[in-house]
Order: sequence, then C-alpha cells, then structure tokens
Amino acid sequence: MTAALNRGQRSARRVLAVWLALGLAAYTLLPWYFPQKLTLWAALPGIFGTAETASGVVQALSHGKPWLWSGLAGLLLAAAAWRLPAGRTQGRWLLAGAGLGLTGLLISGFTIGAAGWSHEWLNTAFGALPGGQLGIGLGGALALLALLMLLGAGLARLGYFRGDLFIAGAVVFCAALLLLFVALPVGKSLIGAFLDEAGSLSATALADRLAQERVWGLNCLVGGVRCGVAWNTLFLALLTATGTTLMGTLIALYAERGNRRLTKPLNVLALLPIITPPFVVGLGLILLFGRAGLVNQGLEWAFGIPPTRWFYGLFGVWLAQMFAFTPIAFMIMRGVVQGISPGMEEAAQTLRASRLKTFTTVTLPLMKPGLANAFLVGFIESMADFGNPIVVGGQFAVLSTDIFFAIVGAQYDQGRAASLALILTGFALTVFFIQQRVLGKTSYTTLSGKGDAGLVMPLPDGVRKLCLGIAGPWLMFTVAVYGFAFAGGFVQTWGRDYTPTLAHFRTAFDLQWGAGSGAGSSAGLGASGLVWAGTAWNSLFTTVKLAAIAAPICASIGLLISWLLARTRFAGQRLFEFSALLAFAIPGTVLGVSYILAFNVPPFELTGTGIIIVLCFVFRSLPVGVRAGTASFKQLDKSLDEASAMLRAGTATTLRRVVLPLLKPALAAALVYSFVRSMTTVSAVIFLVTAENELATTYIIGRVGNGDYGVALAYCTVLIVLMSAATALIQFLVGERKLGRRQAS
Amino acid sequence: MTRLRTLIATAVAPLLLAAVPPALAQDAGQLNVICSVQAEWCNMIQTVFARTSGIKVNMSLKGSGEALAQLIAERANPKTDVWFGGTGDPHLQAAEQGLTLEYRSATLPQLHGWAQQQAAQSQYRTVGIYSGPLGFGYNTELLAKKKMPAPRSWADLLNPVYKGEIQVANPASSGTAYTMVATLVQLMGEDKAFDYMKALHRNISQYTRSGTGPIKAVARGEATVSISFVHDGPGEAMQGFPVATVTPSEGTGAEIGSMSIIKGARNLENAKKFYEWALSPQAQQFGAAARQFQLPSNKATPVDARVPDFKKIRFIDYDYAKYGASNERKRLISKWEKDVNSLPR
Amino acid sequence: MSIEFRKVTKRYGDVHSPLVVRGIDLTVPKGTLTTILGPSGCGKTTTLRMIAGLDAPSSGQVLIDGADVTLLGPAERNVSMVFQSYALFPHMSVIENVGYGLTVTGVGKASTLQRARATMESVGLAGFDERLPSELSGGQQQRVAVARSLVLEPSVMLFDEPLSNLDARLRRSMREEIRTLQQRLKLTVAYVTHDQSEALAVSDQIIVMDAGLIAQAGTPRQLYEQPGSEFVAGFMGEALLFSATAHSDGSVRLGPLSLRPRRAVAPGPVKVAVRPEAWAVGEAESGALVASLLKTAYLGSHQELTLSTELGEIFVVSPDVGRAWRTGETLGLTLAGGGVSVVAAGAGPKSQ
Repeated sequence: MTAALNRGQRSARRVLAVWLALGLAAYTLLPWYFPQKLTLWAALPGIFGTAETASGVVQALSHGKPWLWSGLAGLLLAAAAWRLPAGRTQGRWLLAGAGLGLTGLLISGFTIGAAGWSHEWLNTAFGALPGGQLGIGLGGALALLALLMLLGAGLARLGYFRGDLFIAGAVVFCAALLLLFVALPVGKSLIGAFLDEAGSLSATALADRLAQERVWGLNCLVGGVRCGVAWNTLFLALLTATGTTLMGTLIALYAERGNRRLTKPLNVLALLPIITPPFVVGLGLILLFGRAGLVNQGLEWAFGIPPTRWFYGLFGVWLAQMFAFTPIAFMIMRGVVQGISPGMEEAAQTLRASRLKTFTTVTLPLMKPGLANAFLVGFIESMADFGNPIVVGGQFAVLSTDIFFAIVGAQYDQGRAASLALILTGFALTVFFIQQRVLGKTSYTTLSGKGDAGLVMPLPDGVRKLCLGIAGPWLMFTVAVYGFAFAGGFVQTWGRDYTPTLAHFRTAFDLQWGAGSGAGSSAGLGASGLVWAGTAWNSLFTTVKLAAIAAPICASIGLLISWLLARTRFAGQRLFEFSALLAFAIPGTVLGVSYILAFNVPPFELTGTGIIIVLCFVFRSLPVGVRAGTASFKQLDKSLDEASAMLRAGTATTLRRVVLPLLKPALAAALVYSFVRSMTTVSAVIFLVTAENELATTYIIGRVGNGDYGVALAYCTVLIVLMSAATALIQFLVGERKLGRRQAS
Repeated sequence: MTRLRTLIATAVAPLLLAAVPPALAQDAGQLNVICSVQAEWCNMIQTVFARTSGIKVNMSLKGSGEALAQLIAERANPKTDVWFGGTGDPHLQAAEQGLTLEYRSATLPQLHGWAQQQAAQSQYRTVGIYSGPLGFGYNTELLAKKKMPAPRSWADLLNPVYKGEIQVANPASSGTAYTMVATLVQLMGEDKAFDYMKALHRNISQYTRSGTGPIKAVARGEATVSISFVHDGPGEAMQGFPVATVTPSEGTGAEIGSMSIIKGARNLENAKKFYEWALSPQAQQFGAAARQFQLPSNKATPVDARVPDFKKIRFIDYDYAKYGASNERKRLISKWEKDVNSLPR
Repeated sequence: MSIEFRKVTKRYGDVHSPLVVRGIDLTVPKGTLTTILGPSGCGKTTTLRMIAGLDAPSSGQVLIDGADVTLLGPAERNVSMVFQSYALFPHMSVIENVGYGLTVTGVGKASTLQRARATMESVGLAGFDERLPSELSGGQQQRVAVARSLVLEPSVMLFDEPLSNLDARLRRSMREEIRTLQQRLKLTVAYVTHDQSEALAVSDQIIVMDAGLIAQAGTPRQLYEQPGSEFVAGFMGEALLFSATAHSDGSVRLGPLSLRPRRAVAPGPVKVAVRPEAWAVGEAESGALVASLLKTAYLGSHQELTLSTELGEIFVVSPDVGRAWRTGETLGLTLAGGGVSVVAAGAGPKSQ
C-alpha cells in the first residue's frame, strides 16, 4: 500500500509543480499585456522591452505597475507549500497564495483601466494614477490560470471535492470560465433594464418597461389585433418544441429501429437543416409560399385563388423553426434511442407484451430524459431564435426581434432591450426548473457493465407507419427546399431571369493565377501564384478557422461540465448548472452587445479580435454539449466509474479511458453542433465582426440586404457542402460506439 | 483517435488562440471604416481609396442602425475610424451623443446648401455626402394585372384598392420610414399626419425591418407599392424587374446620407484623408457606378442622368435639426407605435 | 489485523439525515475471508464501500494493514473490488479489461499482457483475450471481473454480492472457486451477501448486520450454533423462535419438552431457536410435542414437513426419505440435542 500512496502523492506533487512552473513562466517569459497591433511571435522578443510587450516581472519593476507583484507574491506563497505533505496545512498555504494572487490581480484589473483609475470615485478617493494598463494578454491569462488551479488544489487539500485534485481543478476552472464569459457580460447587459435614462438604478424604470400592453396584452384572444409579444413568444415556443420533439423522435426511431439500410441517408437528410445558413430556409420558404411563390402562383393558376401573404406570420415562423430545430431534437433522441439497452425490451417481450405494449410501456418511458431534454432545447431555441421571425414573421412579433429593434432601431434603447431580455431569460429559467422537477432523480440507467448483448427490437407496426407517414413527407419537403436553394445560386436573377449561370460563384469564389489585384477583392492579396480574387474567400477562411477552433473547446468544456454535474456532488452545483445553460436563453443580439460592453475595456480587452468571436461561439453552443452529455450520462452505469477508480485510475484517466469512449454520440453531437452553429450564427456576431474578421453569415446577410440573392445562395451552397464534409469528417474521426457484435439473424 | 482529439483540444487550442491575428492594426497605413451604403459602392470605395492613397482599408458593412449601436457600445474604446454613408439621422444622433469628432473640411463650401446645413446642425461632427428624395415605387406589371392606378400623391395611397398592397419599413428600425413620418408631420401638421398614417395602416401589408425591404418586395412581386427612397428604384429596374418610381405631388422630404469621423479614432490622420477624398467629385461618382442614384453633395460632381431631377420634385422644408434630435425621434416613434401600429387592419 | 473499523458511522446527506451505519467496530484478520451478511438495507453494502474508499465515513476510522486510510481514495488503498454488476467496460475486450489496472498505473505493455494472461489462466479464461464482455456468459463475465481485480495483487479484495446474478449450480461452483482462490493466494477478502448458506460455506468469519449495527460476529459454527440474539438466530438457517421459560434448576421448558441448554441461562422468559433439522419426528408418545401434519414435500435428499402444534406451526426437515407420511397424521416431535439454542428474551444486536 505504501507504493500506491507514494505514487499518488508523487503525481499530485508533479501536478502542483507544473502549475507553479507555468505561473512563474507566465510572469517572466511571456508578454503580460495584449499588444493590440502585434502577434504573439512579434511580441516575444520584447519581453524585456517596452511597456506594451514586457513580461510581468519587468512591468512591475520598470514600468510602474506595482500591483502586479500581488500575483507573483501569491505564486511564491503557494510554492512554499509545495514540499508540505498532503493535508490541511498545505491546503491553507495554497489557498492563501492563490487567494492573494487572484484578488490582487483581479481587483487591480477591474479598477485600473487604460488611463488610470477606471471609475471616477477612485480618482477622488485616491488621486489620479500616473499611468494605466492595457488588457490582459497571454502572460496575464496564464498566470491567472495557474493561480486558479492552485486555488482548486488548495480547496481539494482542505477536504472539499473529496480531496480529488482533478475534480477541484475542473470545477474551479469551469466556474471561472462561466463567471467570466457568461455571468459577467449577461449581468452587465441585463442590469441595463434597471437603469433609467440617466444611468442610475431605478426600480420604477423596470416596472414601467415591463408592464406594457405591447408585452403582455391579450387582445388577440378577444379578436383584437395582436397579443403581447411575451405571449407570442411563449406560444410559438410551445408549438415549436412540441413539433420538433415529435418529429425528431419519429425520425430517430425510424433511423435506428426501422429500416436499417436507410439509417445513413436518413441521418444525413435529417441533419441537413442544421448546416444551413439561416437565410436559406427563410428564402426557400418564401420562394415556395410567399405571395409570389410557386405554391401561391400554382393555386392561382389552378383554382383562381388570389395570392395573399398567408404564409407570413405565426405559421411561417413555426414552419421555419420546425425546419431549423428538428435536427437538434433528432440528434438528442438518436443518442438516447441508441443507448436504450435492448435487454429491457427483450424482457418485456418475454413477459408477453406485444411490441406496441413494450414500446409504450418500456421504450418510451426510458426515453423520457431525452424527450424532456429535446423539448427544453426546442423551447429555448425557439425563444431565442432571431433569423426566422425576422424573415418570415410578418407582423408576428416575438421578444427576440423586439430586442433587436430596440437596439438597432431608430431609437437606441438599451434599457428596453435589457428589460425584454430579462423577460426572455425569465421564461427560459422557468422552463429549466420545470424540467428539473419532471426528470428529477429518477434513474434511467440502462447501459451498465453487464455486457448487454440484446438485439434491437424492431418498431411496432403502428409506430412504424406513423414514422413513415409523418417523417417521410417532412424529409421530402426538406429535399425540395434544398433543391430550390441550390438552384438559386445557379440562375441569373431569381424571380426574373432563370438562365443558368456560374457568374455568382465566380463573384464570390474566383480563383486567379499570377500577381494582380482583382477589383472588389478584400484586403489581403496573394503576391503571386494563386490569387483568391473572389470577394467571399476572406470571410470563408475566417469563419472556418474560428469555428474550427471553437468546436473542440466547446465540446470539451461542455462534456466536462456535464460530467461534473452527473458524476460529482459539490456545493453550488445548481448554480453551476444554471450558468452553463444561461447562455442558451440569452438571445443572440443581447449576447453580442453584452460581449462588446463587457470586453471592450481592460482587463479583458478583446473586441475587434478573433478571440471574442471564438468565445462567443463557444459559450453560445455550450449548453447543447452540456445537455447532450447529461442525457447520455443518465444512461451510463455509475459503477463503471467506480470500477475504474478501484482499478487505481485517477479521475482524469477514468474520464479519458472509460467515460469518453462511451460518450461518443454525445461528443460527436457536441462537436458537430458547435461547429455548425458557429458557422451559421448571425445575430450574436453581428456586432463582433470587424473588417479583419468578417464572417460568412454577415457577408451573406449583407448580400441579401443588397438584393444579391444569387451570390448569397451560391455562398450558401458552398457553405452547406463544406459543413457536410466537416460533419462527415467529425463522425468518422469520433467513430461509432460499438458494444455488441450480434447481428439480427 | 480520442487521444489525438484530446491533445488537440487541450494543448493546441490555447496556442491557436494566441496566434489568431491581432486586433485592428494601428500603424500608419491602416484605416477602419464602417460603410452603411450598398456593398458594391463600399467595395469600390475601399479598392479605389486603397489604391490611390496606399492606405490599407478595413471595411465592415453595417446598416446605419447597427452601426450606431456598435459605436455606442464601443464608445469607451473605439475601434472604428470613419463611418461612411447611411441616412443622416443616426449620424446626428451619434453627434448628439458625442461619439463623433468635430471637423471642418476645406471642401465644405463646394457642397450643396443642404449638406453644409447638415454639417452646421451637428456642430460639424458630420457632413452630408448625398441626398435622395422619398417617394413611391411600384411594380408596373402587377399594377397592370390588377388594373390599379399608379399612385401619384400621398392622398392616392389611401385608396382602398391598395388594401394589403403597400409596404413600408418600420420607423422604429429604419431611417427611411422615420423620414416618412417626419415628412408627413411637417407636411400636414402632427394630428393630421397621424390620422393619415392610421388610414394608411389599413393598406399596409407589412412593416419591414430595413428601409430597402419594401422596394425589393415590389420588384419581386411580393408587394405592389412601396414607400421608399426613389434612388433605390433604378437599381432594381436595371436587374430586369418591372419597377417604376414617382415622388408625391403634395411634397416630400429627402434623406441626407452622411459621413462622420469617430471621436478617439486610432488612425485620425488617415481618417481625415479619407474624409477629404470622399467629399471630392471623383469619389462621389462611385454611387452612380454602383447603381445608386442619390444626388451627390459636391456641386462639382457630374450628375448621372438617372438621378432624379431635384428641380422637378416638390420638397418640403425639412427641419433636420428638429427632427434629427433624439427626443423628438423617440416621441414620434413611440406615438406611431402606440397609435398606428397597434390598430387592426 | 488487515481491515479495521473503529466507531464508524455513515449518513447520506446533511446532518439531519438518518444514519445508515450507526457505529460499528469490526476487524478482518489478514488472509481470511469475512462475510458481511444481512437483510437488504442493513448497511452491508455501505460498509463494503467504506472499505473500498468509494464512500467516506461520517465519523470513525478505517484502517487497512494498520494504517489510517479514512481520508484516502480508492486508488490510494491497495484494495480491489468485484461489483455486483461486474462493471466490465463494454467497449474494451477481455484482455483490455483485465489489464486495465496495470495499464493505468504505468506498467509496460509487454508486462501487462503477460500478467493479464497469467491471471486469466488462473481463473480459467485462457484464450478469451479478444472477446467483448457482451459476448460472454454470466459466469465468464464474473471471472473476468475477478481476474481484473486479482491482477493487481491487492492486499484486500472485496466482493459485492458476486453470485446473485448466477444460476444455482453455477453459484456453488463459483463460490468454491472464489474460496479456493482466496485460500491459495492467502487473500484478505471481505464478502457481502444476503444468502446465509453462501456465507456459511465460504467464510472464516461472518459478521451479521441489522439496521446499521453489527448483530454478531464469529465463525460460521459459532453463529449457527450459538446465536447471540433473536435476530441472528432467526437469520442463520430457518430457525423458528419459541417463547419458553427457564427455571432455576437450569432447565428450559418448551411446551411439554424439557431442554438442558449448553450454557446456563438466567431464570425467566427466554426464546428458544430450533433449527428445522433439530426435530425428531416419531409417534405421539408422552413427553413429545403433539403435532398434526399439514403438508409434506419430498426433496430427494430430505423431506420437508409442516406441522401444527400447541406452539404454533413448525417447519421440520427430516432425513427420513423412506417414510411416507399422510396429511392429518398425528405425530410427536422431540428435540434430539443439537440445533437448539437458547437466547435471553429481548436480546438485541450489539450496540455501541
């Protein structure tokens, strides 16, 4: 036993040493601040140099930034504890050191801005400062990270988190991320609801804004013109959530349990709407159902019915949202259906239950966590959806569009936007709590370590027909709209001149050889050789790069958080879960503006960079990774984790070798979703793009606004092809979860 | 495979983050512009200015409402240098809020009266670069098919034959539509104007989000008549759509597209160079080249034939100062919201 | 002592939750197999998990090989566990499962392979390397679970109801294998089960738990023949308890029968626990307990009889397979000698 003790102690020591070393290296070898005009490589030689590029130590010594010593002092204090044996004393030292470092750096960060004190009252209290500081750069960030990890280690040594260093570190890390990138910006922007015109807190301001007829009126029930925006939003969300859950489940059941040969094509087809840029669905539907659309023209020609704008409004938005969000429900339900142990169904069938009875009494209840999750996801997505109501909403107003108008409209009213966002968040939270109650603590474990070798039960006939009857036409409808979308890029002018042409592709994606500057190409031309002359290359490269960076980060953090929520118990877990899902409920516009507000000034000055876009991507898609992971965890037997622990594997190893391989569907879902979502998000990033970091979606929307539907659709076509390839690649890399080899005979 | 992925996610991602290109460069030779006119126009300006001055132009295209929102959000640490184009009211609001820089160009005397007035009203924080009248657009084919008369005046639009056929933007989000509201108020007096708009409301099929939405809908047959800026029409017609435009006989207002330098711009010298260049006759021709037919503000600019003849149009005496102030805007828009938009159709 | 518990308690939740384990002291001597036995909900699995380190005690100390391991996690004690559900990793082959503990502790690939194969052979699974757990039968899966734990050469091995998922015949052979393995390797084993015959068959020591406390600990023979309380007497074997009176002369009167217990009991009301096989079935003579036969069952090796007497219904197991009884017959029951224990009435489990 002493050997095991030493091994454990030694590895813990190693971990502490690594973090201490990282922190010290960050202080001495990396630029502390974020020089806005230089890349990391360019700034490195200057670590002993100017105030912009110097390392932390040099900054504190020669550039008049004595507050930076606090962080270093903290690190050294923690380092003193390194040699101590594992226990409460060591914990106290680590906590003291990390606490000192973190509070010192953070307080100085938030109170000292670019030109001295950040707040007026500090000037009056302490007198003006000689100089200020820039936003935190790589050095500062790594030093903070190291201090954070030491904080976690200290807490673990004091007995929290059952003494597990890995769990403590993971919780502290994720909590810090959530605090900084979700709670802070959102809080900052929601506070706006409580501020009156002058900028001071006022309770009546909030009450005035909220209690408006426009928000809560119920006129439409009594034959009036319209209902309050809040009711509209709720009603639409309810419809969408029900519809998408139903459709997603039907497709998932058919794909997994119906005709096995169709599984692959069904998967692809059902997921197609996810990888569609937001604009395509709206336009395609308008081309079909709009006043001048094919269906209406057809009706007029066949039956003499004059075309009207019947499609615009609740029905149109609902249809578009069904289109957009069924794939997510499908992905969640597919993972759940795959995870249902066939043994249970076989048991039921041997107990004389018909297939239908088995289905309704065994299979369906076991799918409850997935159904509840899919419903919640659909509900919240619908509430926060912006692109669809804007395009096909007509006069049907929802909260997200109203918020957008409040911000970018002719009257910039942030207070109103914030108060509407508050309502929206309130709704999302309520739904969240309801769902917690419903699912509760029931165990849905079916995937245990007993090597279940069951065969999948085929669907009962009634259910099968239902699937085919509903899901079938839906999928064909999908194909139809996509046909239109693809066609749009290849015709001269949609609605007018249908001659086939490749001109739009050329405008966007022209490739030329030799040196030259193509007219209309964006900044950044190749010197010689291949010239990316089309206008769309810049945005395409940027978007793919940023989305590809964001996807693994989002998936890792999301699954980590879901693991922390499912397999560990610690104080404040509820709050933790809540903030992870909060970003979900915040409409994209509000998130974008809140990111600008929060990260435009030191200590975290990130606006105008690609980093802020990546962060927005990550935290916007985080909740889906968490939910997918949570649903999967409910089906994994806890004793697998425990067995791994008993076999001397550390928590991190258990996560890597046992949990992760069994979570493959959730991992694939998280990766695909975050990549694709990042590629197609609009409202959140509309304020974050700059000339240097232009994204595909803003480019497309610009084209649409300009009436260049041809170029826009051509770009969309390319995006769809690209994302399909990426999705296939991810599925291939992650692989399927194989547990049994018996085939149906 | 899992190992590989874990490795990438945990180790490489932070490095990639660090290697992501830096924020806006601020060496001499760069300029950051928000452009609120059409994409083609913006592209031309970007390319030509970059070529002639050697300054690298980073341009982002944003509608004027969104541009204003961004500037407000960034005010503590602006990343933009120049805001080019977009209807005048948001520029005036920006000036009012102290977001833009006071700058008198040497070219001012060469500009039309209305452009100089725009500059003066904003304490020289913004300047007019083009002007375009408000009017109606209509789809000639649809009109013929439905045997409807072409509208010629504001009063014509109230004709019940147009029920559900007219589109205009939402004044809350679009400068175009706000110009309409302000025009009507100045033309008829506030009470009569609101009565008019309530009557018009019955004929409106949809209030679109952007100012150019209605004319595009008309071009594609989604609507028959639009209230929009007249200079948007010829562009659609050139693409082959059956669109014609007209200005109302009682009188109409016009927008003044503006340009402003941002206060606290990081590339101030380059911004000023751009400003001067944009007011020159050569630069002001790009609008027409991009099929946008506003009237350029520099009197010396050759005017394209397709630009509406201002002398033939009856303009009201639009008080930009009064109706560009935020308070008045807010008041009128909320009144519109309450009295007009809430009515049934 | 290999495993030692000192005043250990456990509650789940906050301080207002009830105690699941209410203060126990136990010892498991080195190289022996101790079974923790008890009905569902008595706290035996919780106790096992506290030995494993999967749960930490709310108070008290846990010592393994003399060292205080109360605050240590499972990886830091040299303890291995075989789970009730086996918990085989479904995505790994058998050889990967067995070698898992070695792989994660940094043992080289070749060495891991060799040791894993050797252990698999010792449990009778040679040649099953590449199979997946879903392709194995219950017994094979259990062997894999055992091999996986064994390969780490732990000082303590824990079994959580390992045989509950197997059929009867397999149960017997598997329990023999486990016992043989333990004795051969001189392992210290803590074994949890609710099946008392299993406990009797394999254990060096049995600890009977009831509602979070230890009722009695001792060798199988001690527990079976000298139960210290009603509960233990009733739990071990299918003994029936009867109220009786102990007299000052040392005898105990049970209905018409008079017994002389091995150990002296204080005069007063007592309980007598009688095993089914302790009764001798004969004619209804004087001095015997008159009984009327209600049911019989022929089980090949013995016959089971249910009789109605003045003491109530009695369940008797008789080795006399030749005799064909008739229902309704009047018979006489006497107590031959063994299989009877006397417990002071109201004696409860050992409390702290």
